[in-house]
Amino acid sequence: MTTVTRPAIRDLAPPKPPSISSIELSGEMRLIVVHKPSVPLAEIRLVLPLGSEQISNPAAPLVLSESLFAGTEDLDRTEIASAVERLGGSLGAHVDRDALIVGGSAIASNLSRLLALLEDVLATATFPVSEVTADRSRLADEVTIALSRPETIAEEIFDEAIYGNHPYATRIPRPTVLRRVTSPTLRELRKKVVSSRGATLVVVGDTDPKKVTRTVKDTLGNWAAYSRRKSTTLSRVRAIEPGPLQLRDRPGAVQSNVRIGGVAPARTSPDWPATALASLVTGGMFTSRLVTNLRERNGYAYSPRLRIHHGRAGSVSTFVADVATDVTGAALNETLFEFGRVASVGIEQDELDAARRYAIGTFLTSTATQAGLASTLAGLLADGVDPEYLATYPARLSRVTLSEVNRAARQYFAPSQLTTIVVGDARIVFPQLEILKERVELV
Amino acid sequence: VPIQTKARSFERARLDNGLQVVISPDRTVPLVGVAVAYDVGWRSEPEGRTGFAHLFEHMMFQGSRNVGKVEHIRLVESSGGVFNGHTLPDLTAYYEALPSGALELALFLEADRMAAPAITEENLRNQIAVVEEEIKVNVLNQPYGGFPWITLPELAFDTYPNSHNGYGDFSHLEKASVEDAVDFHARYYSPENAVLAIAGDCDPAEVMGLVERYFGPIPRVATPAHGPWPEAPLAKSRRKTYKDPRAPQPAFAVGLRTPDPIAEFDRYLSYSIVASVLASGDASRLRSRLVHTERTVTDVSSRLGIFGEDAIIMRQPVLFQIIVFHPGIAGTDDILRVVNDEVSRLADEGPTQDELDRVAIGWRSGFWRAMDSVLQRSVTLASLEVIHRRAELMDEIPGRIAEITAGDVATAAADLASQKQAVVEVRPATGRRP
Repeated sequence: MTTVTRPAIRDLAPPKPPSISSIELSGEMRLIVVHKPSVPLAEIRLVLPLGSEQISNPAAPLVLSESLFAGTEDLDRTEIASAVERLGGSLGAHVDRDALIVGGSAIASNLSRLLALLEDVLATATFPVSEVTADRSRLADEVTIALSRPETIAEEIFDEAIYGNHPYATRIPRPTVLRRVTSPTLRELRKKVVSSRGATLVVVGDTDPKKVTRTVKDTLGNWAAYSRRKSTTLSRVRAIEPGPLQLRDRPGAVQSNVRIGGVAPARTSPDWPATALASLVTGGMFTSRLVTNLRERNGYAYSPRLRIHHGRAGSVSTFVADVATDVTGAALNETLFEFGRVASVGIEQDELDAARRYAIGTFLTSTATQAGLASTLAGLLADGVDPEYLATYPARLSRVTLSEVNRAARQYFAPSQLTTIVVGDARIVFPQLEILKERVELV
Repeated sequence: VPIQTKARSFERARLDNGLQVVISPDRTVPLVGVAVAYDVGWRSEPEGRTGFAHLFEHMMFQGSRNVGKVEHIRLVESSGGVFNGHTLPDLTAYYEALPSGALELALFLEADRMAAPAITEENLRNQIAVVEEEIKVNVLNQPYGGFPWITLPELAFDTYPNSHNGYGDFSHLEKASVEDAVDFHARYYSPENAVLAIAGDCDPAEVMGLVERYFGPIPRVATPAHGPWPEAPLAKSRRKTYKDPRAPQPAFAVGLRTPDPIAEFDRYLSYSIVASVLASGDASRLRSRLVHTERTVTDVSSRLGIFGEDAIIMRQPVLFQIIVFHPGIAGTDDILRVVNDEVSRLADEGPTQDELDRVAIGWRSGFWRAMDSVLQRSVTLASLEVIHRRAELMDEIPGRIAEITAGDVATAAADLASQKQAVVEVRPATGRRP
């Protein structure tokens, strides 16, 4: 076979960072506006930070995220939904790890109407008793379904093992607790959470920043003027000494859900760009060592992947692999081997170069759309990271050296520092795991 | 509501070997989306080889004549790109989004695997194992796995192309041979049976030169026959109930027939409006009544196609689906009565002008949102061109939706109300509530 030369990749000028305007509004609220006229739409994200009390008790915030749209002084649920649809838009809320995020979109010329609706919801949501009762019961049913998924079971055990007593360990509220959330609880919670102090509104779209600022002041000013909250503190996530491998029995399971991870640096840490690149080479891209080994060489798993999840109180790496029951031990052996190799032997320069181009390229792709950019900004703000990050991250990646990546791999991906949990059919899987780990504990 | 429009033209060309090319330039982002859609999906796979179209999609990532195993993906990722592929009933698409400096590389890679993917015994065995793990993740190890996308067509249709499971039986997958794969490629993966779409930061004239260079030498092959695979409407209603030991709650799905999605596209779109009016958003009729007023249902949705996203890129026949998850406070028949009641009411009274306006503006903004992503734009253009021979539909659909009248929607609802129904029910193994 003659070798055909691959077409060269043309290098591009460094990407132009989005032009971000940041404005402090009354009520200690911040407004971030990005003029991005790619299509005639506008996206909004309102980031409302949660305190440790709410993070530890996630039931009420979850019901709040639903019942916020159940009715206001002027509109009922159907009227709110119809009004949003008439703008060619959407409006909803979800609970992130550290924040309640209200997100929406509309045809750009309808932005002021969308913001007026948002203000109505924020300032005058009434939490009708009968609607709250129905919402909490429906959410309890949805959570019941989620809790029956093996991925969710694995995530919970992993979070408990990694976070210990930290509020981050309790992510998914129990159905019984959800069914006890009341309308008065939500009204109290609203005072604490749906408040302008510490809140940030992100607007991205085909809109003029000056006009947006005026509109936001006009529409949200009233809400911002009276809402106040106490600032809250959250203890940092601390690295824990990995305990025994925890195994949760799921009799008859055709697959085992393996989760491995440990503490990782925050995006503001000097270690972050090198760790991001080390994680990509290890298991963060399709051509990473772990995916090549487990999927393409051995066919053990469909989509194994190593990711790093960030929170205001700390960041954690998680390797996820759902593997066939009868090869669970073999797959874990390969996984620990790849972590061990990357941490003790290190990676090659060409792997670093590929990971760097991948990191910069995917960063561009994920922030290229209005919705992608708005959600990326909301995620940064929820973690307390300045939006300036968007402008500096590609350059930070470009400066990382091989020795920095290898140091990061040693520090953050050494098997001795990683916690492992497995959900699977214990009768078959337990003996396989015992061969590899000194202690396997059924949980 | 006045809607500003920003015309975004695209250009088309056809190579001598039959490859249709669609180019949609947009210099506002330094990225390109490249998509190749092939006119083959799981409805075309041979009997005894269920799941083969999807398995073959996996084989296309295993290298090709000039590209080693994993090298295809390595080249895409190390140029900063993301990639994927999907197999649907009537088409299989491959796509990547990359920094625009890597466009030529992407065209080289797509052409090389169109011409000669690396079909070896070793790659095939490896990918059969990977696909089996994929099926375990998404179906066998999941509550409601395969509901209703596998289980409803099985009940609602009688002929092999329409009723069989596109993920495939393990016994069929394991019988797949290198010879099967070589035949499948020779028949369906030819230039004339494909559409190449490029969207984003590119110069159309330059792109055409590159496309000619890389795809031009691939020989022309006679195009195979494609569906439709029409089936007569059900003469009697059908019901099937099965236990899902992993499901915590009951669920059911209703399957009905729609008009020819190509020959009668506008009439078909009116069924899509019925689906939106019934069950899209908190203001929709079924959601408002069942979820928020009567509260007998956790979730209700309605869609056309298999997954919903494929509604406008399928040939006949296509199902109209209503999917309900509920805690068991009311029985399937009680809930079904309300569903039928609302479909009949829509047939009798038609939608309100406000409902029609809301659906129309929703499609308009959905169209812009899709346009904002070069990847989604390239995939949509290629897919519409494969199925409808008309990529222009991407621009036209919002306008055509806006022209559908209350009478059209009432007529569609009346047809749905008059049909015999296929209903598939999922029962949890235990009735216990945690």
